[in-house]
Amino acid sequence: MIALQTQALRKVFTVKRKDAGLAGSFRSLLKPRWEEKVAVRSIDLTVQRGEMVAFLGPNGAGKSTTIKMLTGILHPSSGEARVLGCTPWREREKLAFRIGAVFGQKSQLWYHLPPIDTFDLISRIYELKRSDYHARRDDLIERFELGPYLHTPVRKLSLGERMRCEIAVSFLHRPQLLFLDEPTIGLDVVVKQRIRELIRELNREEGTTVFLTSHDAGDMEELCARAVVIHHGGILLDAPVDRLKREVLNRKLISLTLAAGSDASMLPPLSGTEVIASDSRRLKLAVDLAVTEIETVLSAVIGALRLEDVTVEDPPMEEIITHIYGTGG
Amino acid sequence: MRTPRRLFGYRNASLAAGGSKAGAVARITIRQQMAYKTDFIMRASFLLMILYVFVQLWSAAYDGDHARIINGYTLKQIIWYLVFTEAITMGVPALCGIIENEVKSGDIAVRLIRPLSYVGYHYAAYLAEAVFRFFVHLAVGSAIAWLCVGPPTFGMGWAGLFSLTFGAITVAFVLNMIVALCAFWVEETRGMEFVLHKLQFTVGGMLLPLDLMPEPLRRICVWLPFQAMLYFPARTAVNIDAAPIAEQFAIQAVWILLLGALVMWMYKRGVSRLHVNGG
Repeated sequence: MIALQTQALRKVFTVKRKDAGLAGSFRSLLKPRWEEKVAVRSIDLTVQRGEMVAFLGPNGAGKSTTIKMLTGILHPSSGEARVLGCTPWREREKLAFRIGAVFGQKSQLWYHLPPIDTFDLISRIYELKRSDYHARRDDLIERFELGPYLHTPVRKLSLGERMRCEIAVSFLHRPQLLFLDEPTIGLDVVVKQRIRELIRELNREEGTTVFLTSHDAGDMEELCARAVVIHHGGILLDAPVDRLKREVLNRKLISLTLAAGSDASMLPPLSGTEVIASDSRRLKLAVDLAVTEIETVLSAVIGALRLEDVTVEDPPMEEIITHIYGTGG
Repeated sequence: MRTPRRLFGYRNASLAAGGSKAGAVARITIRQQMAYKTDFIMRASFLLMILYVFVQLWSAAYDGDHARIINGYTLKQIIWYLVFTEAITMGVPALCGIIENEVKSGDIAVRLIRPLSYVGYHYAAYLAEAVFRFFVHLAVGSAIAWLCVGPPTFGMGWAGLFSLTFGAITVAFVLNMIVALCAFWVEETRGMEFVLHKLQFTVGGMLLPLDLMPEPLRRICVWLPFQAMLYFPARTAVNIDAAPIAEQFAIQAVWILLLGALVMWMYKRGVSRLHVNGG
């Protein structure tokens, strides 16, 4: 069954163009100039129910605009979309009962109040029966481990605690389709990992379709079976994540901070590993996973150097996009 | 205006569901308001100062004569009239700023993903905050008026005040919402909001009952919606015998219907061309 389908979905914004300086402001006041900005050029996409799809792309690629059209917040300039059988911008309120959304950079929690108040408000807005609400809320509190800060004002929560609440709230009404727009932005590795586990768990148990945008390749790798990469408002690649991992995400970056007295020259040459930046205290290595394993490199590093800090990262999304362009998608 | 069921969104096709949503929005708004203690203290102090200045001014105008009547108002009635208009004016939230910020920051997205009317949500929040603040300011204003001109012995005038205040806040909401929704088209609504508020202060009868205005100006004011926001409830409270109560309710209802229809038309047009900023 199809969860969402789009055909030639397009969004063009009209933006005012202003020249720099005071004179530019006066000119703009007397003779405003408008120009069209194509946020989404043309998106054709089908997502089946129960799928977890990563919608990836660098900043400004059109990810959030697409999500906002699919949730009925924005009206498209042209094209069609059906989400759970509804046209989102024409049947926004009807569709809202069946979908959920988390915008990583916008909070749905009431800033001065504890999260429990937002849970209660949301339960009323989604017209949940009291008994269902209490059972569901308690289950989410347990899964997301929200108990210790459920009664703490949101303003006093850490970003990770807040995001767990945001995602738990979005699951309250058992949405059939969940849109997650940068749900792990700004979070540390441990919290990111926990949030990914919870999303995976709810997808498995409740069959929730997940449509996730991120510019963190880790979200895609750990959550999704399919990735759609967009760039400049159009689809650049639509492929299984396994293929992407094999062909594109075959590099990891290791950043090392050396302890005092440790010398970078002590590190022996390692096969499939390239030093891409170094100074007296820091070292950055690029590891080709097709040649060697990350554990092998880390063992060699720990054996040769004394370290203060180690970070293992995916290459930035911009690099992945460049690679996809280079290999012709 | 749409029916409450349609206004607050629907599923179970019942008024109860709409009422429950509005009630939940109202409750959480009041809880959030309680976090702003400093704001309340600042506003209450400002209200005390304003009323003290006006008590001095009107006492001078009446030569301190509590029995003197000017155009149907004694000094006591004028001061209490000011308490009521100030309590309403200072009670209503700055809706234009709220909506403008939601559009500019893109936070409107969080409102629009809910099965709840955007206008309905803001109406419930506006009403809750306005009523809550109205009673706080009424208590503060009453304290100073009681000390300066004596107790408010208005009998049924109180019933008139409370019943017309509901319509008054609703008129204020639709007027402010019209200006606020302009944020869907223009970058700044503060200039329009400034004009709207000044009209409320003057031709709405905030500082001066319409009965004390020159006849030509008064004739214009009766054709404007602003009198339904401040003048009706305050005049009825201090002088219920002279107030045409049914006519005032009817005028409020007509303005709410007309301006409410305009709000819904503007919202429908505006939301289709919305540009939600940021991520």
